[in-house]
Formats: sequence, C-alpha cells, structure tokens
Amino acid sequence: MKKSSILGIIVIAVAIAVIISTYSTSSTYGSFNDAKKSTEELHIVGHLNKVKELYYDPTKDANYFSFYMLDNKGEECKVVFTGTKPQDFERSEQIVLTGQMRGREFHASKILMKCPSKYTQDKIETTEYKSKQASL
Amino acid sequence: MTKVFEGEHLLPGQLGQLFIILSFGSALLSAISYFYAANQRDQHDQSWYKLGRLGFFINSFSVVAIGACLFYIIYNHLFEYHYAWAHSSRTLPTHYIISSFWEGQEGSFWLWTFWQAVLGNILIWKAKTWEKPVMAVVSLSQVLLSSMLIGVEILGSRVGSSPFILLREAIEAPIFSRPDYLQYIKDGNGLNPTLQNYWMTIHPPTLFLGFASMIVPFAYAIAGLWQRRYKEWVSAAIPYALFAVMILGTGIIMGSFWAYESLNFGGFWNWDPVENASLIPWLVLISAVHVLIVYKNTGHSYFTATFLTLISFVLVLYASFLTRSGILGETSVHAFTDLGMFWHLVIDIMVFLVLMVGLLVLRWKELPFSQKEEETYSREFWMFVGSAFLALSCLQLVVVTSVPVWNAMFKTNIAPPANPITLYNIFQGGFAVVIALFLGFTQFLKYKKTDATRFFITTLVYMFVAALITGVIIYITGLYKLRVVFMLAMFGAVYGVLANAKVLGDALKGKLKLAGSAVAHIGFALLLVGALIAAGTSKIVSQNETGVIRVKDFDKAGNPRENIMLYKNEPVTMGDYQVTYFGDSLVAPNHYFKVDYKRFDASGKVKEHFVLMPNSQANPKFGLVSSPDTKHYLLHDLYTHITAAPIKEEESMAAGATEASHDHANEDSHYNPPVVYEASVGDTIRFREGYMILRGLNKQPKLQNIPLKDNDVAVGAMLDIVSHGKAFKSEPVFMIKDGNSFDFARKVDDAGLKLRLSKIIPEKNKFEIMVYQQPESAKPYIVMRAIEFPYINFFWSGTIIMVIGFLMSIFRRNSELRVVPVKTGAKPVKKKPALVR
Repeated sequence: MKKSSILGIIVIAVAIAVIISTYSTSSTYGSFNDAKKSTEELHIVGHLNKVKELYYDPTKDANYFSFYMLDNKGEECKVVFTGTKPQDFERSEQIVLTGQMRGREFHASKILMKCPSKYTQDKIETTEYKSKQASL
Repeated sequence: MTKVFEGEHLLPGQLGQLFIILSFGSALLSAISYFYAANQRDQHDQSWYKLGRLGFFINSFSVVAIGACLFYIIYNHLFEYHYAWAHSSRTLPTHYIISSFWEGQEGSFWLWTFWQAVLGNILIWKAKTWEKPVMAVVSLSQVLLSSMLIGVEILGSRVGSSPFILLREAIEAPIFSRPDYLQYIKDGNGLNPTLQNYWMTIHPPTLFLGFASMIVPFAYAIAGLWQRRYKEWVSAAIPYALFAVMILGTGIIMGSFWAYESLNFGGFWNWDPVENASLIPWLVLISAVHVLIVYKNTGHSYFTATFLTLISFVLVLYASFLTRSGILGETSVHAFTDLGMFWHLVIDIMVFLVLMVGLLVLRWKELPFSQKEEETYSREFWMFVGSAFLALSCLQLVVVTSVPVWNAMFKTNIAPPANPITLYNIFQGGFAVVIALFLGFTQFLKYKKTDATRFFITTLVYMFVAALITGVIIYITGLYKLRVVFMLAMFGAVYGVLANAKVLGDALKGKLKLAGSAVAHIGFALLLVGALIAAGTSKIVSQNETGVIRVKDFDKAGNPRENIMLYKNEPVTMGDYQVTYFGDSLVAPNHYFKVDYKRFDASGKVKEHFVLMPNSQANPKFGLVSSPDTKHYLLHDLYTHITAAPIKEEESMAAGATEASHDHANEDSHYNPPVVYEASVGDTIRFREGYMILRGLNKQPKLQNIPLKDNDVAVGAMLDIVSHGKAFKSEPVFMIKDGNSFDFARKVDDAGLKLRLSKIIPEKNKFEIMVYQQPESAKPYIVMRAIEFPYINFFWSGTIIMVIGFLMSIFRRNSELRVVPVKTGAKPVKKKPALVR
C-alpha cells in the first residue's frame, strides 16, 4: 500500500473521531424538567420571570445572583449564578442558561441573554456572561 | 405623491446609491470581458481585454466613490441616513468615526470590496500573462460582493443591503409622517463602547485585507486549471498566499489584542464562533502554502495543493456566511443579525464552490499526479502530513462552530458544547502538539531523500534538550497542574523553537533564503508558548475568600469566587497586593474607577505602588460596559476590570455628579442614626472605621454669605479624622445668631461621614459632636476582578516574529519568481531541478 493511502486512512480516522467526539460532548437544549433528571450540564432556553424578585446584593456577596426563570415549557425554577448580575438583566427578552440542577436550584455557569435595544427596534443584542474565567 | 421632508440631504445618498449600481455593473462587465479575453485564441484582438480593464477601473473608482459618500454622511452627522444614525453620534472623535464606518455589515462589505479593488489593480499591473483569467475570477468575486450592497427590490425580495438607506425607510414609526421629523433626531445611536478602542480603527481593515487577498491564490488556482497551465500557477501564487496568511494572521491577533485590552471576558482568545470563523480560512491557507511549496520543490501532492488553495477561499465565504447570516444567533456574543441576506450569502458560497468542484472534475484526467512514491525520509512527505493535520484541526473548528448550521440543515436540536472553551482547548491543544513537532523535525529533513541515521541522531538530540527545557518551564510556571496535552504542546513548541533556531543559525551563515520560514516557525512556536502559559496558568488575583474554604485546589471542585467588593477608601488585601478604591474620574461618557495597588516587602515597606483605572460606561443603549485596565510587566500582566458598580445614569454623569443629590430633607436617611459624643479639646472619638481628634476651636470659621453681628458667635470644631489609614480634616460650625442657635454640618464623603457641632456645654467645657455614618450599603463601592497573565509577552512577540518571517518569505518567493522566467529553458536556475520540471 502506498504511504499516502495509509496517511489518507489516518486522516479519515481522525476526522471521524473528531465528529463523533463532538457529537458526544454536545448536549441538547432542554427544560428544567430534563435538568432534574440529568446530572449533565445542559442548555435551557427561557425567559425571566419579571414578577419575582431578582436578588443581587454585592455588599453581602459579590458573587451571588439569583432569579426565577420560566423555561419554554412554562416551568419555573430558581436559578443561581455565581458571579455578578449582568447589567440590564431586567430588560432581557430571552435567556439561554448553561448549567445543572443542584437540589431545587439550577446552578448556571453561563448566561447568554438577549436584550431589545432601547432605540432600535430592528436590532436584538446578545450578551454573554460567564461566572468563571476561561482557562485551559 | 412624494412627501417633502425638511432638512434632509438626499444628494450624497443618491450619489452613493448610483455608485453602488455602477460598481456592480462595471464589475459584471469586467468579469464577462475578462472571461472572453481569456478564452480568446486570436492574440491580436485586444477589445475584450481592454473592456475588461476598463470595467475594473470604473469599478475601482466607484468603490472609492461609495466610500467617500458614506464617509461624508457619517462625518457630517447626517442622521437622516440609517447607517449614520445607527453607528455614530455627534460626540465621537474622528478616529472612532472611522471605526463606526465599518461597524455595520454594509461598511465591512465595502471594506472588502475596496481591498479587492486595490488587489485587482495590483494584479493588472503585475500579473502579466495571468492577468486575463485571474482578473476574470477577481471580477466575478467583485460582482458578488458589490451585489451585497445593492439593496434594491428585485421580484419582491430585497437583494443586498445598502448603506444609503434613509432612516425613515429603514424604521417604521409615526414620527416619520411629520415633514420636520429630523428636528427630533438630535443624535445617533453611537458606537458600541467596546468598539471605542484604537484597535478597532485598524483591526477591521487589516482583517478584511487578509480576507480580500485570499481571492488571489484562489484565482491563480482556477486560472491554472482553466488555462491548463497546471504547474505554472503555483510559483506565482505562493507570494500572494504568503501575503494573505501574513495579513490575516496579523488581523486575527489584533482582534485578540483588542479583546484583551478592551473586552472583559478575561483573556485574549475565547473560541467565539466569530473568532473561529476568522481562524478557519487562515489555518487552511497556511496548510495550503506548505503543500504548494512541497509541490513546487518536488512535484508531489499537486491535487492537495490545489484543493487546499481553492477551499481556503470558499471557507472565507463560509466564515462570512456564519457571521453575517444570523445563523449563530443563539451561540455567539457578537450581535450579528440577519439582514435578509441568508440565501444571498449561500449563493455566494455556492458559486465559488461549484466553480472549484466543476473545474477539478473537468480537468481531473489531466492533472499532473505524481506516480512516484514519496520517500519516508523526505521533507515533502512529512510537510504534507503536517499540513494534513493543520487542515484537520481546522475541520474540528468547522464542525463544532457549525452546530447551528447542522441544526438548520438536518432539523436537529443539538446545543453547542456546554463548555466550548475546554473542548476547543483540548482538541486544538492536541493538534498543536503534532503540528509543533512537525514544524520542528521537518527542519532536519531534506527534500527528496535524507540520510536516516543522521536525521535520527540530530532529531533525538534536539528532542532531549527540548525535553529538559520544557521540564524547567513546566516546573517554574506551574503548567504541571494542567492536562498532559498542554504539557506535550509546550514540549512541541519548545522543540519547534530549538529546531528552527538551528536552521536560522545555519541560514545566517550562508543559506539565507531559508531564514524566512525559520523565523516564521520560531514566531509561531513562541506564540504557542505564550498562549499556553498565559491562558493555562493565568490566575485570579481577586479571589474572594469570604465564605470559601481555603483548601488547595478547592476551586477546581467548588465555585471559584472571582469578584471582590471594594468600598471606597477601604483597603483590602488581594493576593500580594493591598488594593484601595479611592476615587473616580469622569471623562464623559467614561467613568474611571481609580484603584490603588500597593505591594509590600517582608519588612512592611512599600515595594511597588501604582494606580489602575478600569472604566465603565453607563451607556443608555448598551448598558454598563466595562473595559479593563492592565499593568504590564516584562514577564506578566496584571489585569483589572469592574464587574459591577452602582453607576449613575449618563445624564448625571455628564454633569459630573458622582454623589447623591443634595436633597436636605432626605439626606439623613443616607446615614445611620447619629451617635452623640461629648468631647473636650484633645479628646479622641472613635467610630466604626477610624477615629477623630478634636484638635481645637476656630473662633473665626468661614461662613459664606452670613454676616456676623457683634452679639453673634460662631465656633468651628477643628477635627482631624483618620479612616482606614487616610487623614481628613473637617470643621463643623456652631453659631448663635440673633439669639437663635444654628449649626452647619460638614460632610466627609470619602470617609462616609457627616459631622455636626450641635451644642456647646460651657459648664463642662465640652462640645457635643454628632457623628453620622453611612451604612455599608450606601457607601460607594465597586466589584472588581483581577487576573494575572504570566508570560503573555511571548504571545505578542511571537506574533511579531512570525509576521517578520512571513515578510522574509514573501521577498524570497517573489525574487524566485523574477529569476525563473528569464532563465527557464536555458538551464536549471537553482540546484534543484524540480524548479523547472
């Protein structure tokens, strides 16, 4: 067999490995109900329950922020985020959380929110907040 | 029934729109004419050729004219135009007006067409026999790019998006029914504050020059297949490919520098889809350059070289689709929205993909495949393998970044990886190991055939030395706490530096033409070293220890608490530093927080003292946007940014008011209930955060606008206050005027105090002093995060070295180009006969 064919096989094998591992590490969008059943991190799309209280008091703990979110199926859950409150959180239209359930609270490691802009109705802005620093 | 609106300047927009149409038409003319010119057999008929050139010159002129019109509109704040209104404002300084010019999609498309026009003119000047086919492809690309700017309705759907659309056409609102609506549009939206950074003035032009220049190698490859000049195009394309790689690489790193300097995600690379989109074509073109060089030197791997060159440009278009079609909506921070160009962008990709695949299939039988097997101990074989891995690393990026595309195509509901940064880091770290090792040991191989024994001896000697050095680095920097793959990557990078340093050393002794690649490789390897250490061992200095168990590595399991709270003028110990938030300064619209850093040596003396001023902008449109401030050292950086602060609305900030309004009725509610002390001169009064001494009495206190008569008495209590190691003075005044007693309170805002001299008790020779203290929560505070990035300068200097290496290579390849045509046929130019094969 030609060396380049062997190489070709290796390349294809690595490519397949990449795709499989990507698929296996990817999660699906879920609901709070799914999160209760799972121990994995997953993504939940929903919106803020603006009636209930947002709690952030940096004088007590600068790294604790909690709020109530309704997922797309309408289920409500308390969400805890270890970090500062994202600015303009109250105005968010849609929230995508990444995290997992701990007891009855959903602990989010990442919040991606979309805010309508005050001035332009034709634009939606997206902002992401992470509680942890990116690291290797 | 056209309505007349007052005060609108319609001329520049109409002119601009005219030039857009002209640029589209002339590009089309140029593409068609060049196509016929290239296919023509009759060498004497120059008409198509002249028409092609003419078309391109008109196109270049119109593109410049579009830019001039748009700039005129933005510079003169003509907010009747949507683009000017959406991206700029009156307060923007000129250099940010330039940034706002390319903030929007239309502006960045313009930038792209502009650079493509410039490159086209260079090609007309330089390409000689290649001009006709190459320019046909470049013009075709110019046609598609200009069509993105047209913004006219064709068959019920809008094609492209014009930057000259009027505000009243872009947005529907009742206000636009008034003829004098412009009076109510005082100012534009302004530029997103995170983009108000000097890197944003130069990063987009560089990046788009990089993107635009990738058309050139693509056009050469197409021209080579089309004109059946299969081998010739390679040498001509290499310098352009190197140029594209150099510029795009510089642009990408500039972007990461901007992220580091002005975004607060805490780092220089975030694997954001938009970042990946720029990296993907870069990696593929680098891999293409290597295989092109392999082909040029040995005649092997023709197909791979052509394929990679072609696909790299298609990937540029794909990247542009990813970032502009709005498909990444849920995964990306970048606020790109669908301008209704989804299918337009897809068509753009398909045109070039079909062109590429079609020509390859059509010419398949004629392609110069090499029948010989490569030697195992040859440079070309391992360069080829290394390039394949580079392309694979890119494949991983494409597959993962495109998750939303797969969802759209296959109607699936896959979420992107929960922790993309870790995923990318591990994968790309793995590829980096292989690639770095390859760029090291291939240096010891020769083209065609290498003496195996000698090769193994040198390789192993260098590997051994590299392993030793890596061990030391890993030990010193603490890299051993990370995953093995990153340590291996470090080993690969160190090995790469050493091996290429040897080549560079040899090159300086004589074989100078090899220096370019050696320098570029050293730069790339150093960049890896810097990125690995800085990203891998960066540490949060602002660890919040309250409520957190201080056990080593606890933060790996639990939640690291990265933000600390600083009250004004209260020093807090943070790592090795004592930090104090001691003041603010307002340069509207930026609110700078002054943070004082002190470091002490063992004996308690101040070893180091500096002030960092991270800023936040309370922007009505964008919310609170923080930019970090960084203290640069030779071997590390200390980076500080504000994550939360009780920030005032912009209006009050502009007035310069940082303190609460002076509403007397409400004022005492800002303080805790007062504590009353009776003190004599010399007494000390203690309060929660310090103490004060009643130094003495001032019989003639200053009182504004209150004339004192003979019977009136005014006394000021001279108080020396010490709070958190800082000294203040204050003088509350007690006064008897016309038989009534008054007192004038004094506030010491920085100490959170309000003081009153409320009574004089002559019989005891004492004075009643009331001390109001602000409750903790009412005091000004900031929540900040500080990160230390060790050895980050390797990352930046690696980049610069790499760019220098690319430049040297471009000069070398370009000079080869000049020598070859003159001597071809007479005798082999260099020692390598492969050159003229």
